[in-house]
Amino acid sequence: MRNPLADVSIPVLDDLIKSDYVRSLVVGTVGVLGALLVLGTLFPESVAGDLSGIVFSTSTAASTARLAAPIVLAGLGGIFAEKSGVINIGLEGLLIISAFVSVYVSSVVGIGNAVLGVPAIWVGFLGGIAASTALSLVFGIVCIEFQADQIIAGLAVWLIALGLAPFMSTVFFGGVNTPNLGASVGWKYSAVMVVVATLASWWALNRTAFGKHLRAAGENPKALDTVGVSVSKVRHAGVLLSGVLSGVGGSALALSIGQFIGSGETMVQGKGFIAIVAYLFGNYNPIGTLGAGVLFAGLDAVQIRLQQLGYAIPDTLVQTIPYVVVILVLALVGRTRLPEAAGEHYETED
Amino acid sequence: MSRSDAGDDDGTGAGRIPQIASRLIAPFVDRSVAERLLISVAAILLSIAVGFVIVLVSGRIAECSTAAWTMPLTGIGFCYDPVEVYLVLFNGALGYPFAVGEPGLFNPDWSPFNLSFALTLSETTLLIFTGLSVAVAFRAGLFNIGTQGQLVVGGLATALTVLAAAPLLPAGPIAGVALIAVGILAGAVGGGFWGAIPGALKAYTDANEVITTIMLNFIAANVAYVLVLEVFRAEGSSVVATEYVPEYAQFLPWFFPGSSDFALVALLVGFGFIAGLYYLVEHTSFGYDLRTSGVQAAAAEYGGVNAKLTTVRAMTLSGAIGGVGGAVWVLMSEGRWMASVPSLGFDGITVSILAGNNPLGVLPAAFLFGLLKGGALEIGFRTDVPTELVGVLRGLIILFVAMPEFFRMIGRYTGLGSRGPSGPDAGGSGGAEPADDAAAVEGGETDA
Repeated sequence: MRNPLADVSIPVLDDLIKSDYVRSLVVGTVGVLGALLVLGTLFPESVAGDLSGIVFSTSTAASTARLAAPIVLAGLGGIFAEKSGVINIGLEGLLIISAFVSVYVSSVVGIGNAVLGVPAIWVGFLGGIAASTALSLVFGIVCIEFQADQIIAGLAVWLIALGLAPFMSTVFFGGVNTPNLGASVGWKYSAVMVVVATLASWWALNRTAFGKHLRAAGENPKALDTVGVSVSKVRHAGVLLSGVLSGVGGSALALSIGQFIGSGETMVQGKGFIAIVAYLFGNYNPIGTLGAGVLFAGLDAVQIRLQQLGYAIPDTLVQTIPYVVVILVLALVGRTRLPEAAGEHYETED
Repeated sequence: MSRSDAGDDDGTGAGRIPQIASRLIAPFVDRSVAERLLISVAAILLSIAVGFVIVLVSGRIAECSTAAWTMPLTGIGFCYDPVEVYLVLFNGALGYPFAVGEPGLFNPDWSPFNLSFALTLSETTLLIFTGLSVAVAFRAGLFNIGTQGQLVVGGLATALTVLAAAPLLPAGPIAGVALIAVGILAGAVGGGFWGAIPGALKAYTDANEVITTIMLNFIAANVAYVLVLEVFRAEGSSVVATEYVPEYAQFLPWFFPGSSDFALVALLVGFGFIAGLYYLVEHTSFGYDLRTSGVQAAAAEYGGVNAKLTTVRAMTLSGAIGGVGGAVWVLMSEGRWMASVPSLGFDGITVSILAGNNPLGVLPAAFLFGLLKGGALEIGFRTDVPTELVGVLRGLIILFVAMPEFFRMIGRYTGLGSRGPSGPDAGGSGGAEPADDAAAVEGGETDA
C-alpha cells in the first residue's frame, strides 16, 4: 500500500528529500502541528488550546533546542560512521565524555578568563569536541586496524565513558556531579549549530566526492579500493566525524546548563541511543534525522511543560512514546536497510 | 581455523607461558576455545595494567596532603596507591583471606561465610543468569541487548505472581518452595514473552534486534515503573516498589550472614542452568539448529532448519533465562520489585562476551565481574580512589576482548604466535603467512 502522505509535494524541500518515507514523516509532523495551531486558535479554552500554547511557546522551543542538540548531532555523526561501513553504537559514550570534558576544561580555564581571546566556556566546548574525537579515534583504530567486532567495541566505548566520566569528576571535583559553572551556552547557539551541522552534513554526503567515497566504503568497499581510494582512510574519516559531531552535541548538552551530572546513566540518559534511532528513523538522511530528533526532543519538552501545568499524564509514559513508535515503524513501515558492508571488516588486497 | 599460539608445541623459550597454559588446558578444550581463553585472560591483564596507569595519572592530578605511593627511583609522589587498589579490590571482594602487611600469608580469622564474599557471590549468581541469557542468543547469531528489559519484566511478573499467590497457601516452608517455583516460572514466562517480541520482529519483519531490544529496554523500564507507581506500589513506601513477598517465599541465606542477600540455593540453581544450557546447546538437535543458524543461516535453512522459528525460539529462551534472573533478583536480593533495577542485563552482555558465549565460560566470567562488584565497595571503604574505576575496568575488558586480532598481532610480532616448521625465527616470510591466513579466516566469517 502506498503511503498517501508520500505524494504531497513540497516546493522547496522536494529537491532535498528524495525518500518517500522521509517526506511522509515531514508532512505528517507539519500537518499535526498545523492542525494543533488551528484548533488551538479556534478553541483557546480547550486542551488543544493549552497544548498549542505550550507547543508554540518560546520556553518549549528553548528546551526542545537544548534536548535536540545532542540527539541530532550524534545522529548526524552516526550517519557518517555507518555510511562508511562502521556501525558506531558508542555514540552514547562519545556524548558522555564530551559533556564531562567540556565542563572540566571550562572550569580549569575559569569562567571570566579567556585563552587567546576565546572565552572559557568556548574553550571548554572545543575541549569536549577534542575528547570525543580522541575516543572515536581509539574506536576507529580498534575496529578498522584490529578488526574488532563493531557492536562490542561500541558497547565498550559506552561502558568506558560511563565509568571514566564520573571517575574523573570524583577525582577533580570530589563527586560524580560537577559544581555548576555559573555560565552557560544559550539555546539559540544550540539551535544554530544543529541547523548548520544538518545542512553541512547533507551537502557533504550528497554533493561532494568525499560523500561518494563514504557511501562506497559502506556499500561496496571493493569498488572503492579498485579505483585507488583507501577504504581504511575513508572509514577512519567517517568515524572521526562521528566523534566531532557527537562532541559538539555532548558539549552543547552540558554547557547549556553549565554542569555535568554523572549519577546513574549520567545526564546523557540514553540520548546516544535515541540518536541511533533518529538517524534510522530519518533513513540516513540528515534532514530526516533533524526532523526525528526535533520530534523526540519536542515530545519530551512538551511533556515537561504539561507536567508543570498539572496534567496528570505519567511523564514516563510520554517518554516511552518515541521507543514504541520506533518499533512500530521498524516493523510496519520503513524497514531500514543498513549499508551493504556495514559491520564487516574490509581487507585490502594488494 | 585457529592460528593461535595456544595449542602449539614448537618448543621454544619465547612462548613458555602460553605453552604451559595450553598444556594445562589442551586436554579439555579444542584449539579455538583455548585461544579464546588466552585472549580473555590477556584482555583482563591488559585492562588491569591500563587501570594501573589511570590510577597513577589521576593520583597525580588529585590533591592530597601526603603521597600514598612514591614511584621508585624518581621520588614522584602519587595520591593513590595502585598496588593497594588492586589488593583491596580482589582481596576485599573475598573478605580478606590474605593477610597483607602482617606476618603470615593467610588471615587466620577468615571464614568463607563473610559479608563481602556473600556480596560477590550474590552478584555472581545474578550475572550467571543474565550472562547465559545473552550467550544463548549470541549462539543463534542474535545480539540480545534486551536482557535488561527481560529481567525487569520477569522480575515484576515474579513479584506480582508470588504476592497474588501467597494468600492462597498456608504460610510455611512447603508453601515457600511452591511459591518460589511458581515465582521463577512466572519470571521465565514474563521474560520469555518480552524476548519473544524482538525475536518475532526479527524473524517476520526483519527488524534489527539490536535496535528493537534497546527500545524494549526503555519501554520495559518505563511501563513497569508507571505500573508499580500507579497500581502496585506498597503503601507508605518512600520508593517506587511493590510489597515485600513473604519471608518464607524468599531464598534464604544459609551459612552466610542474614543481611548478605545471598543464597547458596540460588547459586546452585545457577549451576543447574549452566549445565542444562551447555547440554541443550551442544548436545541436542535444538542446540544444533541454534548453532547452525548462528554460524550460517542460509546453510541451516537449506539443511531443513526453520530459521525463522529458531530465531523466535532462541530469543524466547534467552528472554526466559533473563526473566529467571529477574526472579532470583526479586526473591534473593531485594525481596520485592523495585524501580531502581541494577544494570544486571547490560553486565550480562559483558559476561557473555568475556565467556566467548560459551555457557561453561559464563561461570568464571560471572565470578570475575562479581569480584569487581564486591571489590568496588571495599575500594570505597578503604581507599580514596573513586569506585567508578571498576566501571572503567569493565569497559576496558570488553574493549580488549573485542579485538582478538590485536593479541594475535602481538603474538606474531613477539614470535609467540608463529607455528609450523619455520618456527618463531622465520622473519619476514613467516610474518606474512599468518596475515594471509587471517584474511582468509576473516573472509569466511564475513560470509556467514
